[in-house]
Amino acid sequence: MTGNGMDTTGERLELRSRISELARLFPWIERLASRHAIPADTQFAMNLCLEEVLSNIILHGYSGKSDHCVAVRFTRPGKDYFVFVVEDEAPPFNPVISPELPAVSSLDEIRVGGHGIRLLRRFADTLEYQTTPTGNRLTIGFAVPGPEIAKD
Amino acid sequence: MPISMEELEGGITRVILEGRLDIEGAAAVDMRMNVIAGTKKAVIVDLQKVSFLGSMGLRALVAPARAISGRGGKMVIFGPNELVEKVLKTSGVDNVIPIHHELQNAIAALQ
Repeated sequence: MTGNGMDTTGERLELRSRISELARLFPWIERLASRHAIPADTQFAMNLCLEEVLSNIILHGYSGKSDHCVAVRFTRPGKDYFVFVVEDEAPPFNPVISPELPAVSSLDEIRVGGHGIRLLRRFADTLEYQTTPTGNRLTIGFAVPGPEIAKD
Repeated sequence: MPISMEELEGGITRVILEGRLDIEGAAAVDMRMNVIAGTKKAVIVDLQKVSFLGSMGLRALVAPARAISGRGGKMVIFGPNELVEKVLKTSGVDNVIPIHHELQNAIAALQ
């Protein structure tokens, strides 16, 4: 942590491509939240977005094969701005431009599941996607609103 | 994830979930929820003690709601916290599984 409250030291979580590995995600985010004084609603959004992204990679990107890895790197590029970079080696998939299901309006038309992209877009503040030579890189940003500053 | 059940007057079943309704939580309650969906017709799912809801957790709510509806019954949600409710509303699940913050209103919606 520097004097201006910024921390550019990356912290990294690497998961095997098994759904059971997601159990490691929440304690990791909890530790980050504690260390960086991340508010509860932002921590909730981080959990929601990362669970969605990582489960999609494991279940769909890697098609359930358990011999792959997915890496998540955390940085704090600004005092009130937190970023997770998710890298995998799955076939290209861009959640930034993929169509999202419309909001549910009838139990008959509900597709169980499939609302993850909608949730990701609503709960993350920024989303950037890049292909890499070996897979995908998704950068997910969360901004914490600062306190109102009184104007003269 | 703990799940418990309470029978209320009027044939209403209150299902109380507690903890994180994430992938693990959803897997832990899926079987019990399926049994409830196959046997009960008026169900209140109490989310007061649910601290997190992800998309797989939504699935654990929507699938039984659909099954109960298919049998001519109804399911409502009671008492989600603000963030859990935001997930329900963002996905549109609140359009098909009504949310109540007063237990009496949840009961009335099933009578």
